[in-house]
Amino acid sequence: MFELVHFTVNSASLANVYGLANITIGYYDIILAYIVAIIVSIIIALILKVPLMPSDRYSFDVSAIYPTPIFAIGILSLFFVLNYTFAYNGLLLAVIIGVCSALFVKYLFYYIFPAPNDGEDINE
Amino acid sequence: MNEIIGVILAAIICWLNFVIVDTYFGLPEQPGVKGARIIGESIKKRNGDIAGGFFQGNILCSPDASAGTLMASIGYLLLGIPGGIIAAFLVLIGNRLCADPGYAGTVGSLTATLLILIFSFIGLTPEMFIVGMVIAILTIQGIDQVRASIILGKIAEKFNRHAKE
Repeated sequence: MFELVHFTVNSASLANVYGLANITIGYYDIILAYIVAIIVSIIIALILKVPLMPSDRYSFDVSAIYPTPIFAIGILSLFFVLNYTFAYNGLLLAVIIGVCSALFVKYLFYYIFPAPNDGEDINE
Repeated sequence: MNEIIGVILAAIICWLNFVIVDTYFGLPEQPGVKGARIIGESIKKRNGDIAGGFFQGNILCSPDASAGTLMASIGYLLLGIPGGIIAAFLVLIGNRLCADPGYAGTVGSLTATLLILIFSFIGLTPEMFIVGMVIAILTIQGIDQVRASIILGKIAEKFNRHAKE
């Protein structure tokens, strides 16, 4: 069983060692998919009335710039390193993940990652 | 490139990356959690700088750009550029679990991925960045905390991020 695990991990990392996450689609497709995921997630977040920028450097509020695109490109990378790109050279996958991450940030984020309570000082 | 020279170069690049990103996002200004305040005050008692103490406490208590740089190097070694982006995603989750907004960690790992990509063209490999990052964290936390805190305090003053108290 351990040999199977080693074989799987080794072949996955060998295929991707140069940043070519997928052997069937090229560099430009990957870059385009990342850009599409970032733009779609920001636009959907703005449509859902998430604020564009965080209010200051220490705020726990979610916004369209942060952390929505981070979620989108992080999950898109997971799909790419698993060599799963779906249709249209990964573009459709990028759009779906962008929409899902915006929905996640709007409705589920505080349920999974609750901010520290406003009332109590975190330094106390 | 020669390994020793590469590791030294990578250590300098990593040090600059995480100190600049962490200082810009205000780690020396205030302690995020109680543990960071205790470390900062303990360093100040030993004639250190309070801003540098808060910086050291913050990078100890939650994954900031230091952990982000290290994880981005490991991710790049395993999976290429997508690995660096996955590292940023994981650092964001870790930050939120540690009651930290996570701006510094995420931006730090993305800039680290970019730097590793740029410096791979002159022959620096991700392995050198992993070793270099361990050395860079050692110079901040391991060798002499008091002197490191004074240097970090001077950098914080230059960025206008010194502790307000």
